[in-house]
Amino acid sequence: MFRLDADRAVEFCDGLRRRDFLHAGTLPLLGLGLQQMFGLKALGAVDQKKKETNCILLMLVGGPSQLDTWDMKPNAPIEIRGPYKPIKTNVSGIEISENFPRMAKHADKYALVRSVYHTAAAVHDTGHQMMQTGRLFQGGVEHPHFGCVLGKLKGPKGDVPPHVLLPRPIGNTGGNMPHGQNAGFLGKMYDPFVLNADPADPNFRVPDMLPPDYLSALRVDRRKNWRELVDKEVSKFETSQDARLLDSTFHQAYTLMSSQKAREAFELHREPEKIREKYGMNRFGQSCLLARRMIEAGVRFVTINMFETVFDEITWDIHGSKPFSPISCYKDLVGPMFDMAYSSLLEDLHDRGLLSETMVVGFGEFGRTPKVNPAGGRDHWPQCWTVLMGGGPLKGGQVVGSSDDIGGFPKDNPVTPAMIAATVYKGLGIDLETELPGAQGRPIPLVDRGNEPMHQLFVG
Amino acid sequence: MRFLIFLLPALLAAQQLSILPASVELTHREARHQLIAEAVRGGYQQDLTRQAEWSSSNEAVAKVDAKGIVTPAGDGEAVITAVSSGAKATARVKVSGYAAPFTWSFSGHVIPVLTKMGCNQGACHGALAGKNGFKLTLRGYDPEVDYDTLTRQAAGRRVSLADPAASLLLKKATFALPHGGGKRFSTSMLEYRVIQEWIANGAKAPQANDPVVTGLEVYPKSAILKPGDEQQLVVRARYSDGRVQDVTRWTKFSSSSEGVALVDDSGRVKVTGAGEAAITLWYSSRVLYARVTSPFENQVSAADYQHFQPRNYIDELALTKWKSLKLAPSKSASDAAFLRRAYLDAAGILPTAEEVEIFLNDTAPDKRAGAIERLLRRDEYADYWAYKWSDLLLVSSRKLRPNAMWAFYHWIRDSVKENKPWDKFSREIFTGSGSSRENGALNYFVLHKDTVALAENVTQAFLGQRLTCARCHNHPLEKWTQTQYYQFANLFSRVGQKNGDRAGETVIYAKAAGDINHPRLLRPLAPTPLDGKSMPLDAAADRRMHFAEWLTSPDNEYFARNIVNRVWGSIMGRGLVDPIDDVRATNPASNEELFDAVVKDFVRGGFDIKRLIRTIMNSATYQLSSEANATNQADNIFYSKYIVKRLPAEVILDAMSHVTGVPTAFSGYPAGTRAMQLPDVRVQSRFLSVFGRPERIICDAGERSQDPSISQALHVINGDTLNKKLSAADGYVALFQRLGLSDSRVLEHLMLSAYGRYPAEEERKQMLDALNKARVSGTTSEAAKEARRQAMEDMVWAMLTSKEFLFNH
Repeated sequence: MFRLDADRAVEFCDGLRRRDFLHAGTLPLLGLGLQQMFGLKALGAVDQKKKETNCILLMLVGGPSQLDTWDMKPNAPIEIRGPYKPIKTNVSGIEISENFPRMAKHADKYALVRSVYHTAAAVHDTGHQMMQTGRLFQGGVEHPHFGCVLGKLKGPKGDVPPHVLLPRPIGNTGGNMPHGQNAGFLGKMYDPFVLNADPADPNFRVPDMLPPDYLSALRVDRRKNWRELVDKEVSKFETSQDARLLDSTFHQAYTLMSSQKAREAFELHREPEKIREKYGMNRFGQSCLLARRMIEAGVRFVTINMFETVFDEITWDIHGSKPFSPISCYKDLVGPMFDMAYSSLLEDLHDRGLLSETMVVGFGEFGRTPKVNPAGGRDHWPQCWTVLMGGGPLKGGQVVGSSDDIGGFPKDNPVTPAMIAATVYKGLGIDLETELPGAQGRPIPLVDRGNEPMHQLFVG
Repeated sequence: MRFLIFLLPALLAAQQLSILPASVELTHREARHQLIAEAVRGGYQQDLTRQAEWSSSNEAVAKVDAKGIVTPAGDGEAVITAVSSGAKATARVKVSGYAAPFTWSFSGHVIPVLTKMGCNQGACHGALAGKNGFKLTLRGYDPEVDYDTLTRQAAGRRVSLADPAASLLLKKATFALPHGGGKRFSTSMLEYRVIQEWIANGAKAPQANDPVVTGLEVYPKSAILKPGDEQQLVVRARYSDGRVQDVTRWTKFSSSSEGVALVDDSGRVKVTGAGEAAITLWYSSRVLYARVTSPFENQVSAADYQHFQPRNYIDELALTKWKSLKLAPSKSASDAAFLRRAYLDAAGILPTAEEVEIFLNDTAPDKRAGAIERLLRRDEYADYWAYKWSDLLLVSSRKLRPNAMWAFYHWIRDSVKENKPWDKFSREIFTGSGSSRENGALNYFVLHKDTVALAENVTQAFLGQRLTCARCHNHPLEKWTQTQYYQFANLFSRVGQKNGDRAGETVIYAKAAGDINHPRLLRPLAPTPLDGKSMPLDAAADRRMHFAEWLTSPDNEYFARNIVNRVWGSIMGRGLVDPIDDVRATNPASNEELFDAVVKDFVRGGFDIKRLIRTIMNSATYQLSSEANATNQADNIFYSKYIVKRLPAEVILDAMSHVTGVPTAFSGYPAGTRAMQLPDVRVQSRFLSVFGRPERIICDAGERSQDPSISQALHVINGDTLNKKLSAADGYVALFQRLGLSDSRVLEHLMLSAYGRYPAEEERKQMLDALNKARVSGTTSEAAKEARRQAMEDMVWAMLTSKEFLFNH
């Protein structure tokens, strides 16, 4: 019996190292990945010359109110401007809500797009779909999340999954289970790796990452080989996507297990206490910190869901009455939570020299009504809201597009979710002419024609 | 003579040309009608409208252009002829009221124009807050309100009687003035003329006795086409005054499956792939669909269907569909495959090794039917289906105290055990009053205390309808209006709840008063079940009774279709309607005739769930192999082969216990409790969570996930659940070793237990080889025994993580 020790390679009596066993088994997987890469390079989808850009997407579930966060209208009537006042940022001419003092010191690192809108139904689900895929779910077509597209086009970098979702998928926001969070028609093979654990948990560890004490490396490897021996290529499974996916998930699991770098990326306890506290000891703050580690370990795209539901929880969804949140929570809870985590993330990435190759994008599924409602809150308003975009090639310290006097409608440079998608893809270095293989082989363009990226955001 | 015989099929084929619709009435001078020249060749439809030569027998009555559009010229009758490749077809036209004065009507023309041009869509003025101070009702669901908005608001500038062309409505829409919505139509278009003339004629208001649309028709109703083909659709509206008009131009079109067919704004369908698509039509809050069938590109002949022996009506109707799609059914599943499958689909368990051996060696010709019958009588059958209905009714300790939850669960399970008919089961919920402890069914109301939440859950769970959108406006995809929503919700506004004497007990009673108001009318509406009869607002009777009567009526299609689809989907791997809980008018079944027949049979059979399960499982369709043949590789919709599906979390966990002989311990439950017997989804189990157990928070079939994931793989590789079962000192692996059984005998037993079959020779040899190589020589017998046991554990692990184990196939 041999104990597994993450810090040292364990040697067997014949001199072979544990990792060698597991690596030998994963070579076919790497070969497969390379083959895919060659094929896709031939298609021109991946631009070799450009430096690789990663992305962290912060899903501000619930829909932040533009008038109480990053598009203040202090001169509007009281029933519109709400209870909060603007403060200056470190970029002259740009002001944001007093609830985000730390963010205000990093305004050079993000751009505010204040003219985002969509024209679909004003429910959470449509926003989630459109903001994460660039399209609305209709005609039975499940469009893929940006991170999944990136994973399919560029494959994994090293032993970590290309797209990681922290901490859990968005659940009940009213009506059906939300679309737009996975790989859709690209196939479940490209679904994100979902953490399904709370990084703020004192005992946080990715469950089941390593074999138990009583199972030797020899046995783990033997099981892996015998599974392949037993699990025949029975033709009845050929046409089942789920069956093919099962094999792929085992491959990926073994890859993760055998990579110390990958495993350590998930080990939050390796971070100094004061760094963890800087991000905020809550689920969102620790997810942001974990996301930084993921990027460092080679993950290309990290999606963080700040909340998983809008019911009976304090979120951005400030209707003002139960089971939703009150407007005061932007001052008491949600504002500070975001402020700490977001500014720490930007600062941390910047200090480590990662910000220039990591886009950090933050948005909710819609804005909120300019007129405060009778309950003292604001309701859904997809007609105008603000999106945060920075990092990577995106130029911060500017306002792109603006809204009217009351933050109700875009005044200039109206931006649609499809344009945001185009911007994200361009930032990731993906050719916008790329076509994805849809159902029955039908080619589906990355973004619909006529949707341009926001050129103002790109330097040079 | 022989020459003529050869010609005959060609002649017959050529003569299969018809004009759709065959008869047209134009009742005023502005009436127009699109005709289609439809040919049938070799079993396929072909739209020859644009190729045909069109002519009218009397141009003084009616003219027809090259595109097949008929316009009136004077009262009378005429015959329209279409000629194409030697074939000829005719249609009758009757023109009346040509000379009579004609005016466009607000409800009948202006609203449809505004709808088709997108003025009142959700993206524009139909939004909840309108746009730029101009708000119309979404898709024109309330013409009276829209009329007011257009003529009385904005200082009357929107509609200018004195100078119609100066009306804001027209200037903006044609972009004569800046318009955020862009140019919707030009001044030369019919749409402009409709509005302009309506205004010029005095902008008359909608009248209470205006004719209303009573239904829609579409031509062709269905078509068999090939990828690349194009087909024009024609939509007609039937009115309450008896008229029938072509409304194609103002109909909204969409496709249910863009991978099969696309449709553009003018109703032109383009086929993109193989399969079936429903082209849904929306006009004036009415919906309908046309079916497009695109057969797979296979060469099939009668020989391909000979092996398939239909056993009941399910088989007959499935066969008809396969033939129309050029799919041939796979061969029948082997006895071994059938038995394992049947155990899993009927009861969520695996057969024991003994049960498999007995069955495989049984020579009785009806042994499969016998096996099914025995399964339906087992306790595990009751556990399995009680679990499913607990998923549906959201049984959990999240909102229910333990004894309330148990009362709810026991009522469900007892109902399954006694095979309570589904209508009786549902009625017991909705007609019950009193203690939720005495009558566990009443806990349903404890879970949904809010009227709106209750109404929406009822429609989802018992009718398979998603009503939510209609809360704020007419449902954009369905026929449900906002009025209907609030009429329906008002059935549930008098459910009273108060605490009982004991903990976890709630007393449900019918309140004497209470209503939910329509948000705009600010008054309550007469309680009315969706398509049913209203009851008076002031009636003293328990409103739920009225609802229950409508719900469980044999005429209530939604009720029957909802439950039939859920049962069918559970067994066959895909609902006839997909998603399994989205049984709406605009989401037709993959085989409507089959669905209809199963539903009728179910109702006729007294809403008997067990009978339904028996009928499905005894069909030859259910018993098809999951292995594809040359024709049906791509089919996972039409049941031409059994649809392979990953087992649900609870079934896998129980199956692992079954094979290893080690039950799972659930905190707070007696030893030996199977996962499928748990009433509560909040029972701690990492295995169940990671393998997709639903949280039972919302009634959505999507809550349960059956997708494999890396986390699941990690859990079976490194987690304790499976590992501990394998290494348990009192598990089968250890037991078999203690008994001194040979590796060969052990493997055979385990294969029968896990896969329901004997090992194949080659397979047996390979596995024994591997086990032998794992033997450790030159050590103490203790070490040797230990090594042997570990090797066997590892082999069992490999079996229990294989596809053959984790899937139902």
